[in-house]
Amino acid sequence: MSENEVVARNEQPAELVHQLPAYSPAVDIMANDSEIVLHADLPGVLKDDISINIDNGTLTLSGIRRLQSTGAPTWREFADVEFRRTFAVPQSIDVNQVHAELKDGVLRLHLPKSEAAKPRQIEIKAG
Amino acid sequence: MMTRWQDIHQMLGAMDLFRNQMNSMFNDFDRTASAGQGWRADDSYPRTNLSDSGDNLELIAEVPGVNKEDLNVKIQGNYLEINGLRKPDIPEGYTVHRTERAMASFSRSFTLPYEVDAAKVIATLKDGLLKMTLPKSEAAKPRQINIQ
Repeated sequence: MSENEVVARNEQPAELVHQLPAYSPAVDIMANDSEIVLHADLPGVLKDDISINIDNGTLTLSGIRRLQSTGAPTWREFADVEFRRTFAVPQSIDVNQVHAELKDGVLRLHLPKSEAAKPRQIEIKAG
Repeated sequence: MMTRWQDIHQMLGAMDLFRNQMNSMFNDFDRTASAGQGWRADDSYPRTNLSDSGDNLELIAEVPGVNKEDLNVKIQGNYLEINGLRKPDIPEGYTVHRTERAMASFSRSFTLPYEVDAAKVIATLKDGLLKMTLPKSEAAKPRQINIQ
């Protein structure tokens, strides 16, 4: 390492790697014959900050919650977090019909089952 | 040697990030209902943040899934009480596979660091966050002192 090389190096400040703590949101999962419903607690998360990803049997739910800080904190019990949780979903979900709504900090995700997966009564022919 | 410090710092930062991603990958995949929040005492739901902005105290509480009508706030002097009921929102006719969200009534009280003027409190409930602006009572407001 020659003198010139050391002197000529451009110093770049190290990038600070900030990572939000990841927190798994509490969920309720229910199902009936035609769909699976998932309710997740995501307080303070805006619609645009949530991403729901279904890929090859895996559902990934993630969202970022940023608080507007107002004044000097006296105590803090919750902060900016990233909500993230993954689930395995059965292959029989119709991905095109999945819909979700966000209300009052609760995300309601509907996963309709595809026609082939719905329970069917099999008729027995007298033979 | 010191000129390389930035590089090492950057590399360690990247490794930290990678390690955290690997950790969360193992922890979160379809895990059963965790007692991760169990360390928190039962009397500290809902979680709150309190900030002091000079003339006001600002309180934010996490109350997802609670309607305005089911939430009560009581203030007296420097005593603040929040109680409410979280109604279950399970639609009819569904089989429940997993329940992690507690649907119960909750109550929590605080002693604020300053007395507040209960008549001038503004509270809004949006996106599952209850935000309250509590103006301090006159005697408790900060004041500029002139030094003669």
